[in-house]
Amino acid sequence: MECSFALTGKDYVLVAADTTSARSIIKMKVDEDKIKTLSPHLLMAYSGEPGDTVQFAEYIERNIRLYHIRNLYPLRPQSAASWIRRALAESLRSRQSYTVNLLVGGFDTADKTPHLYWIDYLGTMATVPFAAHGYGSYFASSLLDRYHNPDGTLEEGLDALRRAIDETAKRLVVSPGKYTVKVVDKDGVRVIDL
Amino acid sequence: MNSFATKFSPTDADIELRRAQEIAEEEGMSDVMWGSEAGFGNLVNGHAFNIPSVPDPSSFLRLHTDDHADPNCKIKIQHGTTTLAFRFQGGVIVAVDSRATAGSYIASGTVKKVIEINPYLLGTMAGGAADCQYWETYLGIQCRLHELRNKERISVAAASKYLSNLVYGYKGMGLSMGTMICGWDKTGPAVFYVDSDGTRLKGDLFSVGSGSTFAYGVLDQGYRWDLTDAEAQELGRRSIYAAGHRDAFSGNTCNLYHVKEDGWKFIGNYDITKMHYDGPGEVAGAPGGGYGYDVRTQGRFSALAPTVPA
Amino acid sequence: MPDMSVLAGPQQHQFNPYAENGGTILAIAGADFTVVAGDTRQSEGYSIQTRYAPKVFRLTDRAVLAVNGFAADGNMFVKKVKQRLEWYRHAHAKDMPLRAIARLIQTMLYAQRFFPYYVYNILGGIEEDGSGAVYSFDPVGSYEREACRAAGAAQSLVQPFLDNQIYFKNQTAAPGQSHPTHLPLSDVLSIVIDSFTSATERHIEVGDGLEIYIVLAKGRSLQGVEGLRGLREMSSREDGERVFVLQRELKKD
Repeated sequence: MECSFALTGKDYVLVAADTTSARSIIKMKVDEDKIKTLSPHLLMAYSGEPGDTVQFAEYIERNIRLYHIRNLYPLRPQSAASWIRRALAESLRSRQSYTVNLLVGGFDTADKTPHLYWIDYLGTMATVPFAAHGYGSYFASSLLDRYHNPDGTLEEGLDALRRAIDETAKRLVVSPGKYTVKVVDKDGVRVIDL
Repeated sequence: MNSFATKFSPTDADIELRRAQEIAEEEGMSDVMWGSEAGFGNLVNGHAFNIPSVPDPSSFLRLHTDDHADPNCKIKIQHGTTTLAFRFQGGVIVAVDSRATAGSYIASGTVKKVIEINPYLLGTMAGGAADCQYWETYLGIQCRLHELRNKERISVAAASKYLSNLVYGYKGMGLSMGTMICGWDKTGPAVFYVDSDGTRLKGDLFSVGSGSTFAYGVLDQGYRWDLTDAEAQELGRRSIYAAGHRDAFSGNTCNLYHVKEDGWKFIGNYDITKMHYDGPGEVAGAPGGGYGYDVRTQGRFSALAPTVPA
Repeated sequence: MPDMSVLAGPQQHQFNPYAENGGTILAIAGADFTVVAGDTRQSEGYSIQTRYAPKVFRLTDRAVLAVNGFAADGNMFVKKVKQRLEWYRHAHAKDMPLRAIARLIQTMLYAQRFFPYYVYNILGGIEEDGSGAVYSFDPVGSYEREACRAAGAAQSLVQPFLDNQIYFKNQTAAPGQSHPTHLPLSDVLSIVIDSFTSATERHIEVGDGLEIYIVLAKGRSLQGVEGLRGLREMSSREDGERVFVLQRELKKD
């Protein structure tokens, strides 16, 4: 089952998402990247209804890129998250809505702060120090309450993330195998090998 | 337009023509229906599909076509299939079975589940036969138009995305297709999985249909990138046999295709019962002898006594 | 006393525009001819609505269409196919080739994808290369060229018989001999008649009358049809493909 996690640290945001693409009981793909880099300092992990996920993520990706091209500077994480939430909320009131859950993490280069937003398919948005979607959230939320340190170094953050992923692997019946992990900080976006 | 004056004004060719067009439009006809338009004339002007005047058209459709929920439903859309495609050093192998079932009745044993979109592109058929046949034929038309407009063949990625975006537009309306778009372009051999949910995945190896788990079992274990052409073809054949043998909704025969740089080639049609007892016949890569477990292990397992020939 | 039935629960209405009118159709392709047949009984449930409702129709001199399933949809569909073929004739001054008619039928059926015609179609006729051909369709337009096909109420009775007699399925040829790929017209006609008499015996929705359309390739002799009782020619000209219809009685109980 799809799982995604994210957490903030002193001056970074870590985002992790599983890499499996499943159809009923079959893993159709095991190396799918479900985290999009929306702008130099903005990440978005997406999960939910097959088809909707990629269509919505690409729509967001291109509009954020368009903003960057038109204005020569990217949207700040707060504004980007608000705009993304609004797109989902408007879709919810349309004939066919996007069933997509998101974790938006970004580093605001203006005031040098990390930001993380938990957004669900209903258009609910919460500003949070750490977040998760999918069955993994039932294990990770309490675990991160215990182990997350908002001022932690990257190594501490990775440790907490590792705990969340390991716990999910240990306790969840249908746990995913592999994850992609990305970090965004003042230097931009990097992929991390856990 | 239908004012008294227009209707009974002296016959002016222009008015006459316009009136004829109005009548035609009211009845849902367009000019292209007079000619051929490759048989897809009904798709122009947007008024393509007739939708029932009920509050929820998709539940109306499901009520009359979903044989999983109601085996007595009137319109049976064929389900049950095994299809597979994989990429390897020597191109793409596409193998499918040929059985069509309506409930427990075998409606056909000679279905062509590989759709030849054009000389470089193949599509496979799982789910609604008409959905796959119709939209992949339509895709073929769009690919040809792309060629004429851009003086260059469409990439497999672009073709598959065209199809995926197209079916995504009908999401929730009841289309049912799980297809692999296979071909060779500038990037080399390519396989994309596209389904009616709107999912589109790039990958090396896919199998779709009720027998796909059985095909995966054999396929995954025998798969390597550096398979020879003969080995790869044999693996495709052997995997479809496995699914035909284990899945009641798959069977009859296996159709095998190989896509190389210069386009696809039909390799052959193999009877699954024949493969069980005698193997695929004189083909490269075949081990000789039947694939069947009982045939392969004749007499080596005491509980399975050799059958007496009829 | 108020009407309590109103209070019993919400009155539910379901939109059901479909019926199943029974009957069976079949078609067999020969080397240079095609035979398309159907019974003429039309029923709903256990009631027979009519003993003569044709299910097989001549479209052109080289194409015959059999429709089975919901009769109202079937008649409407045939009407629309005929209309499109007439338009084609006016636009191109020739009859539409068989394989093009097959594709036309696919697109016409698929246009009703979200409100399907509840009909199973079998198209039979002569291809441009002079060979006999049968195309069978599902209600939403998936189609395939085949050598023989039965559809409708008794398809599960007739098709296995055809598989055995036409494709020689589960038959082993005598040593040194092989099965013929195409049967002569006279053999095909007796197989068709036997299929329907047998289906009439075992299926309540089949019977009353039988109409067998025979399409002969251009220049083919009438060998195998001449002198047949109840044979009528339907062709518009003598120098092209020719269409005949053969009528037979079936049991009426």
